[in-house]
Amino acid sequence: MKNIVEVKNVTKEYKELKAVDDLSFVVKEGEILGLLGPNGSGKTTTINCILSLLNINKGTIKIFGKIMKPDAYDIKKDIGVVFQEVAVFEELTVYDNLDYFCGLYIKNKKQRKEYIEEAIALVGLENYKKFYPKQLSGGLLRRLNIACGIAHKPKLIFLDEPTVAVDPQSRNNILEGIKTLRDRGATIIYTTHYMEEVELLCDRIIILDKGKVLAEGSADELKELANMDEKITVEVDHIKETVIEKIKYFKNVHEVSLERNTLIVTYKKGKNNLSELIDLLKENKVTYSKIFSERPTLNDVFLNLTGKELRD
Amino acid sequence: MIVFKTFWNVVKKYKGTVILYTVLLLVFGFLNMSTKDTQTDFVNSRPDIFIINKDKDGLLTKNLISYLGENSNRKEIKEEEDSINDALFYRDINFVIYIPEDYSKEVMEGSNPEIEIKSTGDYQASLASRMLERYLQIQTIYKKKETDEENLIEAINHNLKTSAKVEIASSLDTTKTTNSSRYFNFASYSIMAVVIFVVCLVMSSFKEKNTKKRIIISSMNYKEHNRKLLLASFVYSSIAWLLFILLGAILLKDILFTTRGLIYMLNAYLFTFCSLTIALLISTLITDKNAVSGIVNVIALGSSFLCGAFVPSEWLPKGVLQIAHALPAYWYINSNDLLKTIEVINRESLKPILINSLVLIIFSVLYIILNNIISKYKQKIG
Amino acid sequence: MLWHNFKYSLKVLLKNKILLFWTFAFPIILGIFFHMAFSDIESSEKLDVIKIAIINNEEFDRDMFSKEAFKMLSEEEKIFSITYTDIEEAKELLKEEKITGYLLFEEGVNITVNRSGINETVLRYVVDEISSNKEIMTEFYKEGNSQMNISELKGNIKDISKENLSYTMIEYYTLIAMSALYGGILSMFITNYKLANKNAVGKRTSISPAHKGGLLLGSLLASYLVQVVGLSLLFIFTIFCLHVDYGNNLPFMILLGLIGSLAGLSLGVAVATLIKANENTKTGILIAITMLGCFLSGMMGITMKYQIDKTIPLLNKINPANMITDGFYALYYYEGLNRFLMNIISLLAFSLVMLLLSYRGLRRQKYDSI
Repeated sequence: MKNIVEVKNVTKEYKELKAVDDLSFVVKEGEILGLLGPNGSGKTTTINCILSLLNINKGTIKIFGKIMKPDAYDIKKDIGVVFQEVAVFEELTVYDNLDYFCGLYIKNKKQRKEYIEEAIALVGLENYKKFYPKQLSGGLLRRLNIACGIAHKPKLIFLDEPTVAVDPQSRNNILEGIKTLRDRGATIIYTTHYMEEVELLCDRIIILDKGKVLAEGSADELKELANMDEKITVEVDHIKETVIEKIKYFKNVHEVSLERNTLIVTYKKGKNNLSELIDLLKENKVTYSKIFSERPTLNDVFLNLTGKELRD
Repeated sequence: MIVFKTFWNVVKKYKGTVILYTVLLLVFGFLNMSTKDTQTDFVNSRPDIFIINKDKDGLLTKNLISYLGENSNRKEIKEEEDSINDALFYRDINFVIYIPEDYSKEVMEGSNPEIEIKSTGDYQASLASRMLERYLQIQTIYKKKETDEENLIEAINHNLKTSAKVEIASSLDTTKTTNSSRYFNFASYSIMAVVIFVVCLVMSSFKEKNTKKRIIISSMNYKEHNRKLLLASFVYSSIAWLLFILLGAILLKDILFTTRGLIYMLNAYLFTFCSLTIALLISTLITDKNAVSGIVNVIALGSSFLCGAFVPSEWLPKGVLQIAHALPAYWYINSNDLLKTIEVINRESLKPILINSLVLIIFSVLYIILNNIISKYKQKIG
Repeated sequence: MLWHNFKYSLKVLLKNKILLFWTFAFPIILGIFFHMAFSDIESSEKLDVIKIAIINNEEFDRDMFSKEAFKMLSEEEKIFSITYTDIEEAKELLKEEKITGYLLFEEGVNITVNRSGINETVLRYVVDEISSNKEIMTEFYKEGNSQMNISELKGNIKDISKENLSYTMIEYYTLIAMSALYGGILSMFITNYKLANKNAVGKRTSISPAHKGGLLLGSLLASYLVQVVGLSLLFIFTIFCLHVDYGNNLPFMILLGLIGSLAGLSLGVAVATLIKANENTKTGILIAITMLGCFLSGMMGITMKYQIDKTIPLLNKINPANMITDGFYALYYYEGLNRFLMNIISLLAFSLVMLLLSYRGLRRQKYDSI
């Protein structure tokens, strides 16, 4: 598979802050790459650098194998970007907005019309063509924002937190749309701080923090990195220190923590862990209101790597 | 307290506008302060004239110029046609007199040489023209009799000395009252602009959907909240009024500390209150915050132009003044204009001012009632 | 691409009601206000008939010369409108400001007025004139020269006043200047949409393969068109409804309008690119610059323009509002074209400077921060 984007040793400094710090990664053709990181980790700055909107202090950026520059128009025509902030004309209708932005790429009117209809169908705005942005709800507005970014059928798509503050229905619509785009053959770079979306969507994930790559790989690979396979949460009424010590002696247990009445036990490997724990609690007459087992999330990975949560 | 605080935050945000209108008032007030001393003796009005003299040595010419100099202001401007034309156009001078070469000589030789003039055609110019005509007529008449230049000059000057006694009947010094009336008239513009602009912006930001929801769900009673908002607007308007009064006191000095001054201030206060009721009505009517600036400009400028805040009302066309009756500013300005000329302040002379004040109050009440009706109606459908 | 951008910029501009209010409606509304306020000023500056009273006593009755003279002045020259009455009523009339003054013939003429003023001064001059003519007549009569007719002996005065002295025209010229410069709001608004560091839409357009120059040109042409249409409406309205006189040179008037609009457009572009602030602040700045410019060129009192022209000419030489106002003034009042052309050149220079200053910001495609 070809490298669609190559970022090599890129550094972007603001006055006092290193927003991107010696960052290198590649994006392969046809994949959905997730850029995951908390707010302020440099995701948006990285995208702006790749798009040549920002001056960079160091490093090189190649797209489609060519150096990216502001006047690299042959590269730009195959890129689509969905910005975090809604970037549409308040004064134009949904259809006119699409026609304007698509018109910057596609000159042929007939082809443009087809593309726009397709984009509208993709995000499900068929009933809102004549609406002005002000008349749309937050979720619909986001969908318009996406449609404006991808109507010209780009080969490479950047999606910068497209689901922030979006109702569940619109969110599902958006995520489905992104999958469709991938199936059509587009390469997608997707930033978010919702790890569930990344797990659901991305072929490969890069975890960013303070402008650096913390870890890279598929969701499963990353979870292995975290050295855990199962997490059991128990809400106990009361538990003695000695019982906790006993739990620690199970062979698969990685870590045990108790915070107020919530007991969290993580395991390196997972088999019969839950039943063993339930038995132990019964033996020691510990009463509990709730017990459940789950697979670790990327948040746990992030927590493991940095000691802080992904979401504030 | 929180309502007041928010109110002041909005005021702080738009302080530039408040300062702008205050500075406009100050500049206007300052430029309009004529510094004439109290007049009890009659003083002639003196037109501004400019003389281009090509007959430097002629005795007759010198006498003409000295006569004109006594009865008019001779302005100094550049002796270029463009400067003269500009000065005439902008009424810096009213009248230009071109005295040709050898004027005196030719008059003494018995001819009647041509004197060219340029005039603005206004009353100052008519006065200057009258002056020149009279002088030349006397000169022509005496030339029939006198052949010696010096005798002729003496005869002219002797005749010109005739001057009627003039008595001034009124004892009121109108210079000061004119100044204060002008100041307060212009203040109507600043008051309207400052009060309507800020109150509308504050009201509309409180009314914005999200804020309104937040207020409704907050623990504070909605009615209570509205009452506080009204109170804050009222306090703000009063402070704006106080600011303009203080500026007035600086510019106009002692006149404000008389009964007349007190009436000026009360009148201004009534007008401020009326502007507040207008502001509240407008804020109920509008939905778009961006429209505030346009509406304020049209309303404040409109009522100022039509009612005589900028141009003295005696210069306004009659028809315009008829229309102006429908605007509160007209009654406010009318009171100021009356205060300018009232000699003795007593029940009788204050009667028209009281009527004007009553009209202002009726306007305010009307706006309040309208506001209530409209906001009730809006609540039902919204 | 140019056409595509032109079309949509036009749509965007025409949809924005606030922009249209400031560029289309506000100047016309202000023009109506000007008209209402100023239409009578100049005629009220002409001398009205002065109302006076003369106390009809014995001395006046005997004074045939004065009696005849006042009759002439009121009936033929129409300077005075005279009420002949007794002293009590004259005093009452004066107090009620129904007359400028009254004359009492008692060992010569005594004038009583309320204050010093122009009408009062004219009254005095005329009374003096009559007295001095009377004196001349008596003098010449004594010397046996009784056939002389005073009114035929006059100085030889020739009025060479220029025409077009109506100074309130300046108000309307500043109105055109204001409208032309307000057009800058349009170009500023549309330019903002093209700047990636000011606007999200700007970001979106700058990552597209469309050339920035073409985009910008299309947008600015659209804003210029809207601006010129607005200005034309104002011209038509002021000429046909308010009877404003722009001089007789129609092509030059149009030229000045077009170039004035260009100056407004470039001012708007400069404010959009050079000033770091949000859109509302920029609009505020643009309005403030325009209003200050108009203030200095006489909108709030035409003497301001004269004073600045006379004392700080440089200030008005760099003030685009004054260049436009002065251009119309030159067309209206001056015969030659030098002054007019000077203003046209200044406006072009101003536009060029503004656009050059903005050039770097406009060309820029990569930023240090967004």
